Amino acid sequence: MLDAVLLILREVLEAALILSLLLALSNKLQLSYRWSFFALLVGVAGSWLLAHYAYDIADAIDGAGQELLNAALYCAVIISVILLGMLILPLAFAPAKNISPARNVAPNQHRLLYLLFIIIFSFSLMREGAEIWIYLSAFDHKAEAMSSALIGAAVGAGIGMSLGAIIYYVFAFLSRNYFLPIFITVITLLAGGLSMQVAKQLMQIGLLDSDAPLWDSSFLVNEHSWLGELLYALVGYDSRPTPIQGIFYLLTITPILFASIWHAWRLRGNAHE
Amino acid sequence: MKPIINCIAFMCLIFCAIVRAEVPTFTIEIRDHLFFPSQLIIPANTKVKLIVINRDATPEEFESYELNREKVIMGGAKAIIFVGPLVPGDYPFFGEFNPKTAQGIIRVEN
Repeated sequence: MLDAVLLILREVLEAALILSLLLALSNKLQLSYRWSFFALLVGVAGSWLLAHYAYDIADAIDGAGQELLNAALYCAVIISVILLGMLILPLAFAPAKNISPARNVAPNQHRLLYLLFIIIFSFSLMREGAEIWIYLSAFDHKAEAMSSALIGAAVGAGIGMSLGAIIYYVFAFLSRNYFLPIFITVITLLAGGLSMQVAKQLMQIGLLDSDAPLWDSSFLVNEHSWLGELLYALVGYDSRPTPIQGIFYLLTITPILFASIWHAWRLRGNAHE
Repeated sequence: MKPIINCIAFMCLIFCAIVRAEVPTFTIEIRDHLFFPSQLIIPANTKVKLIVINRDATPEEFESYELNREKVIMGGAKAIIFVGPLVPGDYPFFGEFNPKTAQGIIRVEN
């Protein structure tokens, strides 16, 4: 049962954290939470389909189907996160004296925001959820083992969601002036972490060449440890990143980084006028 | 958007061409939630192709933090996982769905 708890917790943690972050943003931007039900539905249904067709997916494209599909899902999430970052950056850099209109997202962008939220959360859930379905399918004809695994799964999912709830309240209680910069920083790092996963998928099927890791920080924070797992889920922590993963990371965080610098520079310019 | 997709497809093609070069291949089997062999010796500084065959009816996930790899292998299916080039040392791996029994190690030697 403990195995099931840990496995499910690992799988749901990332999706739970992403959901909490996006809900906290919805709270700060006074957006509706309704998108989350729809995203949950899409994510669960999608994960079931991925698990149901796992054999076909794994066999596709010379046995590289699983990795390529994962990479595609990661990429969709990364692009959505970068777009989301670009959309909310102007709010973070809006002069404090400006009231309402300039400090919130234009109503005509609401639909795009909801779409990005749904893609980011449901695609993350899909990938992780599929593994849970596959894991549980092993106990299909063993009633006793199944009930034990299901209890473990419920406990694991409960812990994951509790952690998500804590993150949500921490972010929701932050004042808006602090929330937006922190949120943008976290999602930028998250996107960077996901891009390392893309590189990992491509190395696993031999499309990209692996190399000696840039560093080994496993003595500091081990990925097996709780802190390691949490950092992995939140910012894609990897204790032994390869050079190609480093390049992917830098390329991914560059757009938001440059946009931030540009906004900061413009804000200074305005202040001087 | 379309030029980006074309560009990605083109890059994939180039990568595929590079990958076609021959690499040493090793096979690991999963039986009764155990890895056979549980210790595999592979050459150092070489890209290696692992074929993991799951003889069990139940799914398993090949996972290794040290090798930075994870892959779900359905019951009765086989998976291809590229690892390396690696420096000499021990790289443990395990089956995430049966971590108590499914344990193994890849020993990289010069």
